[in-house]
Amino acid sequence: MSRLRLEGVTRRFGGLVAVDNVSFDVPAEGVTAVIGPNGAGKTTLFSLISGFLPPSAGKITFDGQDITGHAPQSIAARGLVRTFQLVKLFEDLSVLDNVKVGCHLHGKAGLFSALLRPASARREEAQVEARARDLLAFTGLAALADEPASALPYGRQRMLELARAMAAGPKLILLDEPAAGLNAEESAALSRIIRRIADDGTTVLLIEHDMTLVMNTADRVVVVDFGRKIAQGTPAQVRADPAVIAAYLGAPEPSDTESPSAQETAHG
Amino acid sequence: MTISPSITSPERRPLRLVGLLPWLFAGVVIGYAMLVGGYAATVVSFALIYAVFVTGLNLFMGFAAQVSFGQNAFAAIGGYVSAVLTATYGWGPLPAMVLGMSAAVAAAAVIGFPALRLKGHYLAMGTLAIGLIAYEITVEWQSVTQGYMGISGIPPFGIAGYEITSDRGQLVMLSLIVAACAFAAARIRRSRFGRALSAVAGSEEAALALGIDVSRYKLMAFLLSAGFAALAGSLFVHVVGFVSPEVFGLHMVIVTFTMLYVGGIGTVAGPLIGALIVSLLPETFRAFKDYQDLAYGAALILLLIYAPRGLASLFAPRGRS
Amino acid sequence: MADWSYIPQVLVSGLGIGCVYGLIGIGFCVIYNASGIVNFAQGAFVMLGGMITHVLLARHGVPLPLAALIAIAAVALLGVAIERIVVRPLWNRKATMFVMILATLAAQIVIERLTLIAVGDQPKTLPVFTDRPPLMLGNVAVGYQFLWIVGGSLTIVGLLAAFFSLTRTGKAMRACSINREAAALQGIPVSRMLALAFALSAALGAIAGILITPTQYTAFNVGVPFAISGFIAAIVGGFGRPFGAFLGGLLLGLLQALAIVVFGAGLKNVAALSVLLLFLFIRPSGILGAAK
Repeated sequence: MSRLRLEGVTRRFGGLVAVDNVSFDVPAEGVTAVIGPNGAGKTTLFSLISGFLPPSAGKITFDGQDITGHAPQSIAARGLVRTFQLVKLFEDLSVLDNVKVGCHLHGKAGLFSALLRPASARREEAQVEARARDLLAFTGLAALADEPASALPYGRQRMLELARAMAAGPKLILLDEPAAGLNAEESAALSRIIRRIADDGTTVLLIEHDMTLVMNTADRVVVVDFGRKIAQGTPAQVRADPAVIAAYLGAPEPSDTESPSAQETAHG
Repeated sequence: MTISPSITSPERRPLRLVGLLPWLFAGVVIGYAMLVGGYAATVVSFALIYAVFVTGLNLFMGFAAQVSFGQNAFAAIGGYVSAVLTATYGWGPLPAMVLGMSAAVAAAAVIGFPALRLKGHYLAMGTLAIGLIAYEITVEWQSVTQGYMGISGIPPFGIAGYEITSDRGQLVMLSLIVAACAFAAARIRRSRFGRALSAVAGSEEAALALGIDVSRYKLMAFLLSAGFAALAGSLFVHVVGFVSPEVFGLHMVIVTFTMLYVGGIGTVAGPLIGALIVSLLPETFRAFKDYQDLAYGAALILLLIYAPRGLASLFAPRGRS
Repeated sequence: MADWSYIPQVLVSGLGIGCVYGLIGIGFCVIYNASGIVNFAQGAFVMLGGMITHVLLARHGVPLPLAALIAIAAVALLGVAIERIVVRPLWNRKATMFVMILATLAAQIVIERLTLIAVGDQPKTLPVFTDRPPLMLGNVAVGYQFLWIVGGSLTIVGLLAAFFSLTRTGKAMRACSINREAAALQGIPVSRMLALAFALSAALGAIAGILITPTQYTAFNVGVPFAISGFIAAIVGGFGRPFGAFLGGLLLGLLQALAIVVFGAGLKNVAALSVLLLFLFIRPSGILGAAK
């Protein structure tokens, strides 16, 4: 059974069709990448899947259950967690506390356990602490645990957002351009971490401009252009697909300067 | 006394000591009032009552970064329920206070449900309106509140038949309550609940994406804040023995915001420090009542422009406060 | 219980006060459109308009028309002062909307308290502009002050319409309200527009205060209720639409007058505030739909 299934998903903004009748399946195993030129509707697609926007039409199924139009926090509670293209950290909190917030869904403690701190709450807090530190170690941020999140360099902030999302223990993680703004070295490290996340059993669905990352990391690629799916397959199949080549070569020079490497590789 | 982190890295220890300074300051001020008694004790008592209110305000506005100009409405509910039940119907202060707080929290739930969907200046004006409505009702509902005349003869708190009437007795009681409030705030800050509030403050979208029910936490913080406000209102009427609409008017909004900003919004010690400083300064200068609000307003403007993080933030390490 | 034969009379007084709310509401919109700021010190302008006129007239014997003109000019200057001293530094720091609201509210309190210290807490009033017995239309008495209020307000609204559509400065202000960045690129001095908006808005408030004071009274603390009513007018009219705000003011004045008949005078502010909450909760974009 597929982890995530999109059937005829459509989103209109007034007269503009940002996502047009898109259908695809994301199997539970491995990494699936959604690629496409700028403005192709990728981020809108993620917002539809994660519940931040309701679709105008179509159906989204997660683990066999219809989640179309559900609220973002209840979709997250089912195990579908996203990150953002522009990092949204809790800047006033420490790095460690950011990841602890990510553990929210794994706790039960409410106001009264906050005030009274019964044994169960202390145990839960210790687990959260341990889990958060593990994830910081996993993403190479352990030494920075007590720094304020806002003090991290950009690349580390991206890593922290990934750690925070993983803290929620998702079955499916949506990564919105995780490599944007990263240098080649950081991007390679990210690629390894994404691979490990997938190998540990979490389904990964990512949007990416950085084709090196996609080709090295993804098991399957879905290509969208002008809101429509134009191709689907393994990285090798997609790279050879004439429709994809046309979409990329025919498209005007990608205007985003966030990831310069995307431009070179997208044309290569 | 209230900061008990589960894990402390060694290099943070000096900062922790600095973090104790605000509490030391508060202890010295309260201790001095305890020794001198009389007028000094009265002034500090009022400051402590304000500290309870501002602690609640800080939970909603500092921890969760929401906006309300109308928390004085809940102080009015707490204060008047307490006053009417004890002075008119002969209840004991404690059950009256509990009922007042419950009434305020219930009112906050009814109001908060639609109001917290508002954004920006709509939210600001909507909550300001709630405070003004409460004020108008206390003025106009004369059969219950006796209008501008106010209600007098409200009994003081007591424990087992012994009434706390001395300045020092009240000061001790209020100090314990403020300590409990600060302790609660500190515990909330370092808990799953408090982290969820910080997440709402930091980025609502990111909080939602991590499964945090943002509107539920906003409402919870609003109810908590209303509970603290009602507690302060009730404490006021029992300590002073009198209540009139002016007590919970617009004056209270400005004074408490000044306290919050002087002490440092979002910090645990800020509300107490702010309440003490803002209450004591006008006394040191022996200013008249007329000049007080003027001074508060001007001080607030200067703080907002020149020191938006408040005085207590100087003591708190950045990024975790 | 309510005596319904008073209704026409009540509606007349409602229209009068409604015009005043409308002018205050326009004041909110003028600043909001120029800057995105909601100025919570708006009520101070209204209070000061009546108060300064009273002081000039009663203490210094300045004739009423001249006193009113001086008061309007002084309040306009005060508007610029608030913009320079309070708003500008926060604006430059890109302070949050909440901080801006709190700062202008604090400015309101400062002005209130200064007024209290200067003139005391006794209510003051102004003589009616034309001292004649009211005109009788059937059994409805129409006072000359009502005519002054309605005539004056309509004139101001007309002048404003001309200002915004005919003059260079007015057009520039409108451009700012549509898109500040674009306006700045076209060489419109956006920051001067902000000061001008405060001056204009303050003058409008002062005019409203001078018109209404003969029928009521003014005291150091009347500002906030007037500001709230003006804000409600602006919301009912769809925030950011000056002429919608005027209509909103008329509507609010009528509703409030009716509320006085039904519930008694004491609850007129509660009635107005309830209208506000109702609009905020159910239709925050106003009757006409919010601008932008």
